[in-house]
Amino acid sequence: MKKKLTIGLPRAMLYYRYSTLWQSFFESLGAEVIKSNPTDKKILDEGTALCVDEACLSEKIFLGHVKALVERCDYILVPRVSSFGHKRMMCARFEAMPDIVCNVFRNEPQKFLTYNLDVILNQDEKKAFLEMGQQLGFGKKEVKKAYAAAKTAEQRQWKQQVAEQEALYKTDGIKILVAAHSYVIEDPYLGKPVLDILRELGVTPIRADIVEREPAVKRSTSVSPTIKWEMSREIVGSLAVHKDKVAGVILLSAFPCGPDSMVNEIIQRRIKGVPMLNLTLDAQSGTAGVETRLESFVDIIHFKEGTL
Amino acid sequence: MIPGELKTNRKKIMFPRIANYNGVIRYFVEVCLEQEYIMPPKMTRHTLEVGARYSPDSVCTPFKSTLGSMIEALDIGADTLMMSHGLCRLGYYGELQEQILRDLGYEFDFINISEYSTGKKKDMLKVLKRINPKVKYTRFLTHAMDGVKLCEYIDEVTAEYYQNCGFDPSGRYQKAYNKFIMATEMVNSRAEIDQAYRKVKQTFQQTQLEKPLKPLRVGIVGEFFTVMDAFSNLDIEQTLADMGVEVHRWMNVTNRLLHYPGEKNMNAKINDLCTYEMGPTSTANIWAARDYARRGFDGIIHVKSAGCTPEIDIMPVLQAISAQEKIPVLYLTYDVQTGEAGLMTRLEAFYDMLAMRKDTI
Repeated sequence: MKKKLTIGLPRAMLYYRYSTLWQSFFESLGAEVIKSNPTDKKILDEGTALCVDEACLSEKIFLGHVKALVERCDYILVPRVSSFGHKRMMCARFEAMPDIVCNVFRNEPQKFLTYNLDVILNQDEKKAFLEMGQQLGFGKKEVKKAYAAAKTAEQRQWKQQVAEQEALYKTDGIKILVAAHSYVIEDPYLGKPVLDILRELGVTPIRADIVEREPAVKRSTSVSPTIKWEMSREIVGSLAVHKDKVAGVILLSAFPCGPDSMVNEIIQRRIKGVPMLNLTLDAQSGTAGVETRLESFVDIIHFKEGTL
Repeated sequence: MIPGELKTNRKKIMFPRIANYNGVIRYFVEVCLEQEYIMPPKMTRHTLEVGARYSPDSVCTPFKSTLGSMIEALDIGADTLMMSHGLCRLGYYGELQEQILRDLGYEFDFINISEYSTGKKKDMLKVLKRINPKVKYTRFLTHAMDGVKLCEYIDEVTAEYYQNCGFDPSGRYQKAYNKFIMATEMVNSRAEIDQAYRKVKQTFQQTQLEKPLKPLRVGIVGEFFTVMDAFSNLDIEQTLADMGVEVHRWMNVTNRLLHYPGEKNMNAKINDLCTYEMGPTSTANIWAARDYARRGFDGIIHVKSAGCTPEIDIMPVLQAISAQEKIPVLYLTYDVQTGEAGLMTRLEAFYDMLAMRKDTI
């Protein structure tokens, strides 16, 4: 029997945006999917050792995850996602990621798999996946079918996720909108402790990044016309739509985030009338500092709402 | 209005200083578009400190220096500020800088080229109309060609200067170069441009150089702004040249913007190192670095501002080049606090290492 093809998915960065799409695409093609374990200190430390000092925390975590998968699978997926259209770019780091990984792991025998999403250069998702599937040796028809199935699965899951978040806005009690990239907020080492602390403090955290994407992207130009990063636009648009439904906003970012360094500044200067906390996470272990800041922020909101 | 003040409906336009291209910007604003150009004061520590005070902490350093430069220009009477569009964070500079300045209470007109970049061919024409509503495109075009020529001359002369000025004990080279740069900021016609160019080239040719047969050669690569701007990189090229090094830098406006061979053709030479475009200047920098290595340069210096994402991303590739081609690479990051003493120590150590290496190999 032919050995099953194994694809490794590093559980970091775009994994949190595309996991359903990737997993069901590869599984429809009959490949086996291996995921790295959720982020822990060891993964971060190994990633930090592989990275240039000045790289962002998310990249360090990502390389740690790649390291954890090396020699455990035939291919490790490292996509290149550059743009979704004009003024709908991704941070340059996503553009560079496949080449960074190839150069960092140049002495390992590991093979990497890439798909190139660059809508400005006429390379949309469907085309990118088709090329990737064919590169793996599958037929055109087979790949097309797998992509269609994966896309349906992704959309179904996304719709459900959006509906869940939308329902949260209608709940009682104090709601706080947390604006962060999905790979920051969902990471068990970065954003998840923040959400847990908020829940322990008795408030409902709602994720700003889970929102109907197209309308949010369109809405973002009313706050900032020249904003150019797709994921920042989704978050800014979501903030513009939802800020009146919540008692406070937390801007959460991983140090040092290029887009966030500027977009969060614009948000603070332009979105008024709601208490806002700017929280930057770094590689420090221990959450005591974060806890104190969240506690005082929640206290301020209670004070403002008259529920202290 | 102050009595006796000259009444004019021309805009007083300021564009942040970039390396030695202020003359080119002035030429475009004053000669091509017939508006007034406010030359921002030379950047100083003060510029950086003012800019940093009002900037977000972790934004890249050019944001801070250009913001400082804008504040200084407003203080000397500019009424219209301009900011470029760009492929990295630069494309968002304009909007945030305008917001910061408005929040500080300044009153000015702001021309943000990013607002006009919609990916269509007419974008640039709209910008010209915005600067001068009565612009005549044909007139603009003829003068713009001269402006472009001025830019090419500056890059040609600058490259020649840094390759040779370290070997001229008479000081004529430096004098001629400084005079030329000064002249580029005052020229008003093609004839004057050509005259300034001929003059500096003549002096360069007539100056006797005391260059050893095999001088130390260092190639500089790095982030578009910091690598070209002498203030931002603490005059690294002159410092190296003064140690007796032949300094080469491929990255300039002519090579990257006016005569760029195109992403594909550039990538063709380095596709064993990187498959895709990693950032706006990444392919060019990787290519240049490897080109220096293969041409037998003694060392490479990678220059960037703190937090520059695309340049941080190519560092693993440069490390690979360094290992494969056996060439030393010095990585320098410039932020608001970078002092000259620390840089001097590192450059001297790098120079000593290169010199020793050259002797033994």
